[in-house]
Amino acid sequence: MTRLVTRREFLNLLGATGGTAAALKAGTALGLLPATRSAKALDLLALGSNNKKVAILGGGLSGLTVAHELGKRGYDCTVLEASHRCGGRIFTVRHGDLIDEIGNRQYCEFDDEPHMYFNAGAARIPTSHKQLLAYCKELEIELEVFVGENNNAYMQDDGSFDGKPVRANDYKTNIRGFLSEMLAKSMSAQQMDEPFTDEEAENLLGLIRSFGDLREGDLYQGSTRTGYASGGYLTHGVQKDMLAFRDLLAGPMARTAMTAYEGDYGPCLLQPKGGMDNIIAGFLRKVGEQVKYRAMVASIQVNNDGVNVAYDQDGERHQLEVDYCFNCIPTHLTVGLDHNFPGDYVKALKYVRRGEAYKAAFQAKERFWEKEDIYGGITRMNNRSSEIWYPPHGIHKEKGVVLGAYDFGGGMYHTMMSQEERIEAHLRDGEKVHPNYRNLVEKPVTIAWHRMNHMLGCAARWRRSFRTWTTEEEEMYHTLQAPVNGRHYVIGDQMSMHSAWMESAVLSAHWAMEDLDQRVRAELA
Amino acid sequence: MIRKRLIISFLIALAGISIPLQAAEEREPFDDRYCTTCHGADGRGNYGVQAPRLAGMEDWYLIRQLENFRAGIRGVHPRDIEGIAMRPMAAKLTDESITDIVDWVGSWEYLPTEVTVEGDAAAGAQLYSQCATCHGADGQGNEALGAPALRGQNDWYLVTQLRNFKQGWRGSDAQDSYGQQMMAMVQMLADDDTINNVVSYINTLGRN
Repeated sequence: MTRLVTRREFLNLLGATGGTAAALKAGTALGLLPATRSAKALDLLALGSNNKKVAILGGGLSGLTVAHELGKRGYDCTVLEASHRCGGRIFTVRHGDLIDEIGNRQYCEFDDEPHMYFNAGAARIPTSHKQLLAYCKELEIELEVFVGENNNAYMQDDGSFDGKPVRANDYKTNIRGFLSEMLAKSMSAQQMDEPFTDEEAENLLGLIRSFGDLREGDLYQGSTRTGYASGGYLTHGVQKDMLAFRDLLAGPMARTAMTAYEGDYGPCLLQPKGGMDNIIAGFLRKVGEQVKYRAMVASIQVNNDGVNVAYDQDGERHQLEVDYCFNCIPTHLTVGLDHNFPGDYVKALKYVRRGEAYKAAFQAKERFWEKEDIYGGITRMNNRSSEIWYPPHGIHKEKGVVLGAYDFGGGMYHTMMSQEERIEAHLRDGEKVHPNYRNLVEKPVTIAWHRMNHMLGCAARWRRSFRTWTTEEEEMYHTLQAPVNGRHYVIGDQMSMHSAWMESAVLSAHWAMEDLDQRVRAELA
Repeated sequence: MIRKRLIISFLIALAGISIPLQAAEEREPFDDRYCTTCHGADGRGNYGVQAPRLAGMEDWYLIRQLENFRAGIRGVHPRDIEGIAMRPMAAKLTDESITDIVDWVGSWEYLPTEVTVEGDAAAGAQLYSQCATCHGADGQGNEALGAPALRGQNDWYLVTQLRNFKQGWRGSDAQDSYGQQMMAMVQMLADDDTINNVVSYINTLGRN
């Protein structure tokens, strides 16, 4: 049941915020929450003359992390990769590349130039993802800034502003103005006196006025923060008209404008120069010789002394007997292998659902966004294509690759379409923002992760509820994280509580290797 | 094993000629051997993506279903989630590819399936007497009647398909005469419990 919050309750809530901050601080002191982390070096025992064999199932980021770290310590690692390439969902699409969607194979026809690429999976690195960044440094992977939030990009909603695209800057400035005016008007000096000192109250009001660029009488009357309607350099700038507040409230886009770049999505973000898969290339420079391609695992048998893995390659079935096995095959595919895992482990494997994310991209014949003052960033649309990403790299070159759709939640809508239907849907959505879009883009590629060969899914979904994990889900998670017989580890971003991020894949590998290390130290002691 | 190797060599050769000629040097080759990605190692079936066991299925039944998927007779109803996932895989297959795939699948030996469905097998036995007319008393199937074997199939798959037939999500296409027959037959299964009962009975028929 909803009810109106009284002004006093609202002020009490403001007070409670301070309480939360205090609680957070206490939590950090108790080690319950991460303080600002720095990348830690893995303290793993070097084997010396002790020979230990390791099978790594899947050449994704977590698998290659294990191969790299254990290889350094003298473990004899073999990576079995089912497809023709390593990296899994770290997939940069360039000229000539095969996109191996089952039922919809494509070859990318982008121009063959270094800046003409599309990061079809992982596409941005938050600067707080320190473990991943430490590998970028160690493996000498050149990074550059990725632009996500760009005030000159657009918001577009058929239900607002007659469907016309509106600059994100106009959205944000006007929303802040209107909200500030409401806040300022709702707080008389008398009401402010109770929870705050005079000085605090004055500062709070000052903050509210400044936040929304309010004028005399605490009125919002538009702002030059949106940029000028005309002039501004050699003549006086002319302020833009205010947006209609009702249009801002007509759909979900106001919320998107204000919150889309929080947490992991917020500035500053990074990307490897030349494509996200340069991270994979960096690992392969170290461990590439240990990778067997088109080697599809058929069987995993865990026993007391080790793990027997069977795999198919070149039309033959091969056996690999190892001491330890690290498995980053998606859980929903591991279920379909011949295995002897215990029942509760299988129950957990079966529980995890596969993600449905979907992306598409076009080659742009010209960098039309730069003519509209857009250099990188993301346009948000209230339609199924959802986003247009403008490349922050290749500035002022003739062409570029734009992301034309990113449906991270319910990607099945496009997945279930034919290639032609998908492309038409993205052209139709995109031309609402850029009227000549249809003629400006060509050579589309689509990535339906749910149908990509050897993956059949995007980021793993452990939770059935959007917000919380149930006790049972937590138990299954820990069951699957723990090794079978101390021999078989499930790894990958699927084995984290924050799937879809490369950092999670790395951390899952680190967790597993540290667990293994304790066992090996005990055995060799 | 020799047979399997020959088939695989043939498929690899096929893959070689299926690549656009102008780019054959640089482009990654592919073939149509996608089955095990979804249907599990050696076609054992994969609960994880709800893809049924292929190993040990009849050639004639596999061919008919691949052709139905390809022709849009099966896997088009919006509620047939698994069928919709299968259809694009089959849509681009040539007759030769279907023959090759079915030969390949035929090289996999039947593997026992896990029992996952709970129901009243005794109650299911009575219902099954009607199924037996076409599918055989032991669920062994009957090629002459176009009825596939049921015993030894993944029980969760049987449940899904019986539901789909009952709802008209499978078998309602005018060209799918076998499917239409199934749609009529499954109307005797009143609800989910009844479906579970009959599948539980099929589970008792076993297969080696």
